[in-house]
Amino acid sequence: MKISTLAAMAWRNIWRNRRRTLVTLASIVFGTFLAIMLTGVGDATYGSMIDTAARMGNGHVTVQHPMQVQAPAPKRFISGTTALADKIKADPEVKHVSARIMGQVMLAAAGESRGAGVIGIDPTVESKDTLSALGGISEGKLFGPDDKRGIVLGADLARHLGVKLGRKVVFTLTDRHGEVFSGLARVRGLIHTGTSAIDGGLCLLPISVLRKALGYGPDDATLLAVLVTDQRYAAAVSKRLMPLANEQRVVLTWHQTLAEMSGFIDMKLSGAAFMQGLMMLLIAAGIFNALFVSVMERLPEFGILTAIGWRRSQLFILVMLESLWLALVGIGLSAVVTALPYYKLSTDGFSIADQLGDGAEIANVMMDPTMYVRIHPENLALIVLAVVTATLLSGLFPAYKAGSVNPVDAIKLV
Amino acid sequence: MSTATASGPIVALKNVTKTYQQGAIEVHALRGLDLVIEPGEFTAISGPSGSGKSTALNLIGGLDTPTGGSVQVEGHDLGALGRKALSDLRRDRIGFVFQAYNLVPVLTAAENAEMVLALQGVDDKTRRAKVTALLDQVGLQGLADRRPDELSGGQQQRVAIARAIAAQPAIVLADEPTANVDSATAEMLLDLMERLNQDLGVTFLFSTHDPRVMARAKRLINLVDGKVDSDERRDG
Repeated sequence: MKISTLAAMAWRNIWRNRRRTLVTLASIVFGTFLAIMLTGVGDATYGSMIDTAARMGNGHVTVQHPMQVQAPAPKRFISGTTALADKIKADPEVKHVSARIMGQVMLAAAGESRGAGVIGIDPTVESKDTLSALGGISEGKLFGPDDKRGIVLGADLARHLGVKLGRKVVFTLTDRHGEVFSGLARVRGLIHTGTSAIDGGLCLLPISVLRKALGYGPDDATLLAVLVTDQRYAAAVSKRLMPLANEQRVVLTWHQTLAEMSGFIDMKLSGAAFMQGLMMLLIAAGIFNALFVSVMERLPEFGILTAIGWRRSQLFILVMLESLWLALVGIGLSAVVTALPYYKLSTDGFSIADQLGDGAEIANVMMDPTMYVRIHPENLALIVLAVVTATLLSGLFPAYKAGSVNPVDAIKLV
Repeated sequence: MSTATASGPIVALKNVTKTYQQGAIEVHALRGLDLVIEPGEFTAISGPSGSGKSTALNLIGGLDTPTGGSVQVEGHDLGALGRKALSDLRRDRIGFVFQAYNLVPVLTAAENAEMVLALQGVDDKTRRAKVTALLDQVGLQGLADRRPDELSGGQQQRVAIARAIAAQPAIVLADEPTANVDSATAEMLLDLMERLNQDLGVTFLFSTHDPRVMARAKRLINLVDGKVDSDERRDG
């Protein structure tokens, strides 16, 4: 018997008990809808967090001194950054590469002093798309390329220091040799992002000024921050850049440079995976029940089919095709039911501002008060695959039962 | 499965025994049954409940295996055939008509009738042409596209008969084919099977309690306690 004939018969079989099939389909649709929404929220939220965190300084991929993560110090820097950056930019998934100097400074003004993080940047290559703090400059502006005296402060930091735009600040740091260096800078801009780590503890200086202060050469930096076209490619890009690593520098992904946030996301993803596994199990249990009852009801019929020449394998395939139809119809209906809510939530999102109150940070990354649902295609494919697999696995035992029917016993049930 | 042997009996049972275990009790359904069915016969096996009628039919149909003795269909020793070969033998050489639940409810009369042909891999066009003619022959003109729940009990049994003979089997085994229909329908079904036997030479073997079937049979075998009690041949 042709597979198309079996498939047509299987299609009609699933509609024998319309109500039972609709209930089964409803459970598939409900489970798939939830799985897509939950995964979509996770993909959008964590993706946005990772991008934001990457733009806070380190990038998705970082090239830096091997000890810089465990024991950051000015003496741990990398050289030849221009040539390295050129090589890195050749990777098709690399969007941007910046040489930066990141460290700590002591800032003093009018009797007040504060410790802060500092990022030395080249204003000609940086923008809010490469360094998120630049998008928060709410007063003044970023120092220009020829400005050797400019400094940009976090708004809260400036308030604590008692300085405003145009006022002088003294910065003090330890250079690569352990000597103390002090310099004078004038406040060109103030940053307000809502993130305490930036607003209250960050300042930006021209990288050329910091190179001079730290005793670095014109091509030295503490790191090369690499932004990739999609954060999911970070590991692959990092792997491709591995040949650039040596005793003086390592290539790290955001998982390693932002370990706290990576741990948080991994924990959340594990929880979500567990919940989705549970949902798939529930879907599978529903389908199993429907198919098993359907097969048990049809045992006499299977007995007669066996008698007239059906092979066990044909009965097995028939029931497996019934489960495949359930999976396909379930996925089709899920697509219809999910499309509109998904579209609305992926474009407009939903506000969680009330829940966040004054804002919430995870590992110094500000949570977006609007949550979106944007699932990665590979995760959508995984969900579809999981639903089909769960459905087919659920059909295995009922199909086996149908295929192993004893015609004499089954016909006695007539 | 190969076609029928050129000559010789269609069915030959030699000293067949069948013992069931029913809980702690051993039930001897057949106790050394010898039986030969020749081509073209219209035979009924009768006997009281538990006499072994259905068991004999199940063994001849390759649905069950004997405890002892041998069952041959067209010269094939069923005990020597594997599961697939038995399936093929049933598909190609044996037609079945059961007392109820004969048809697949989601298929039309034509689809049910052509099922064995579909199993044999006969192409759609040939299948449909053959089944249309067959349905006409069994008096179901114009009902080919009806589903079983749109047919009467008698019409359903006619479809089952059409299915049973569609592949031109060596023998049709009919287990109580008139058990679930009224008298008029039973007579019509018997008329039909008798006609198929006479006109097309289809061999029928019934297991039955029904006196109407017994009255029409050209050979009536009475089983008692799993053995042939009487074997009466009626000419004409």
